[in-house]
Amino acid sequence: MKTAYKVLAYLVAAEVAIQAMVMVWAIAGLGKWVDGGGVLDKAVMESDASPFPEVFGFIVHGINGTFVIPGIALLLVITSFFTKVRGAIKWAVIVFVLVVVQGQLGFLGHEIAAVGALHGLTALALLVTALYAGLRIRRAQRSNISPSEERVTAPV
Amino acid sequence: MSSAGTQRRVRVVLPVLATVAILAPLTWMWLASLMPPAYSVMDMGYPDYGGVQPDLTTAGHDHHQLGHRSMSTRSITELIADPSRPADVRVDLVARQQQPTGGPSLARYTLNGTSPGPEIRAVQGQLVEVHLRNESVGAGVTLHWHGVDVPNAMDGVAGVTQDAVPVGGEFTYRFVADQAGSFWYHSHQVSNPQVAGGLFGALMVTPKSGIAQSLDVSALAHTYGGVHTVNGKAADLHVPARPGQRVRVRVTNTDNGPMEVWSTGSYRLLAIDGSDVHEPSDVSGRSLTLTAGARADLEVQVPVGGSAVRIQLSKAIAVIVGPSGSNTPAPPQPGEKLNLLTYGTPAPLGFDPTRPTRRFDYVIGRRPGFIRGRPGMWWSINGHIYPNVPMFVVRKGDVVVTHIENRSSEVHPMHLHGHHLVVLARNGVPATGSPWRVDSLNVAAGESYDVAFVANNPGIWMDHCHNLKHSADGMVAHLMYEGFDTPYRIAGPVDNQPE
Repeated sequence: MKTAYKVLAYLVAAEVAIQAMVMVWAIAGLGKWVDGGGVLDKAVMESDASPFPEVFGFIVHGINGTFVIPGIALLLVITSFFTKVRGAIKWAVIVFVLVVVQGQLGFLGHEIAAVGALHGLTALALLVTALYAGLRIRRAQRSNISPSEERVTAPV
Repeated sequence: MSSAGTQRRVRVVLPVLATVAILAPLTWMWLASLMPPAYSVMDMGYPDYGGVQPDLTTAGHDHHQLGHRSMSTRSITELIADPSRPADVRVDLVARQQQPTGGPSLARYTLNGTSPGPEIRAVQGQLVEVHLRNESVGAGVTLHWHGVDVPNAMDGVAGVTQDAVPVGGEFTYRFVADQAGSFWYHSHQVSNPQVAGGLFGALMVTPKSGIAQSLDVSALAHTYGGVHTVNGKAADLHVPARPGQRVRVRVTNTDNGPMEVWSTGSYRLLAIDGSDVHEPSDVSGRSLTLTAGARADLEVQVPVGGSAVRIQLSKAIAVIVGPSGSNTPAPPQPGEKLNLLTYGTPAPLGFDPTRPTRRFDYVIGRRPGFIRGRPGMWWSINGHIYPNVPMFVVRKGDVVVTHIENRSSEVHPMHLHGHHLVVLARNGVPATGSPWRVDSLNVAAGESYDVAFVANNPGIWMDHCHNLKHSADGMVAHLMYEGFDTPYRIAGPVDNQPE
């Protein structure tokens, strides 16, 4: 279970990186398309068409943020119940809460653009938190300390 | 038993219990969201009586006491135009599905071989009869008369007012075009892909006395696969006209999102959603927001100097009206928008909305949950997601006021079938201009509207978002009149999918 926890935590971190990558990829593609004479309006945004190939980045970002990352974070919380490492549950819950907050900020950013900036900042917090959650399990595995004896030196 | 043993047991049992505590509610929510193989809209959600006690003499016992299947209910199939009256306008439409070839053929669906389908024109008061035959649309097809207050059985909503017409099947729509104005028709079976793919056309009803303009043009804006078009062509629409001529341009937004419309010089907004504006004035330097499904009748005058007048349907495409070969550069998009709350001058509404008999809320939100087994962040209506949405119950003669509020962070073009809404206020600011009547209302993120209507057209009517992707995701409620029932079912053997 410790390995599963570690993998899931690292997966959340990797997903945050993917989210940033696909978003910039899509925006770059949009800019290139507009440069070439493309016109973006609500009609095009709401059509089922892919006016430029990088639009796939927006779709991936949406699916990842709405379904995949919350799903991984939920699995992380469930896995944390069985890891028997002190603090594992707490850090899994923090990751999960950050994922939920991040999703809400993402949706709210459609109405208040400034919230989008906060969405970018929370992404970094989530990345660091998920990495830390994974690393501290790795440390616990390495030191091979039994759950009752484990002392976590990092701030909690 | 030792305390160490108990501790060990707790350590094993607690994680399992915690897991169950998380997964059990999720599983229950998932199971509850699965829909039966066939269901009636009468079984969906919960009744909202708008502050009035339900009429128990016509209410049934099962389901939601909505009059469902009780002895004293009437079937909506009875709600038709006078069958003995001969038709004044007869149209045959054949629906086909095809592979888009690009270039001139962008559409995946056609009516009589074209998309948009043929423009239907009638004079106010005429009985229109449209015979629809489905030649090859695999999922089935219907026709909804967007903006026309047709008898309920003619409303063309698959699974609510009729069964979808299968390949080889036929259906005849009959209604009296008793309101002059600009309307359109489109499929209301699997409506997002079918409308986006081209299954629609224009319906124009002219007054008996005719119109003041000597030229009457319709311009259907549509985006096929990301390509902007007007009247089915991916190019500006050139309309030949004499210098100084006054022209009526009927713009219809057939897409899923709002579109800005503006012109060179000035324009006059004669009608919105088929309802005349009272004493409209000239507008310049302001664009008109035309929401999804909405229509605007604009009057423009061709300049006397030999150039053309240009009406932008978004930045992408335009209608150019003027002498042959004339043109004019695209005018910049105005920074300001026409405020329909104050446009035109007041006129009697024909009813008193200050003393409504029913009041409803239609609060749009977004929340996590499952719809048809799929997890997601779904549109909610009054806090509930599909199918637990409200059924707004009225009686004939009710004056209804609805408070629409958008807390979902995205724009929604709200469309009520079979009725016209009068806008009373936006964000609490009352309307002081011409009566502003709509069937498709642009409710932007954070906005609220108070609207009123008279319940004068019995039946069961959809009240949904006309971003058809949103309605496919469950942003659908219904308005029903007490004592009516529908024999049709969503899904079922003919696979009715109205959204």
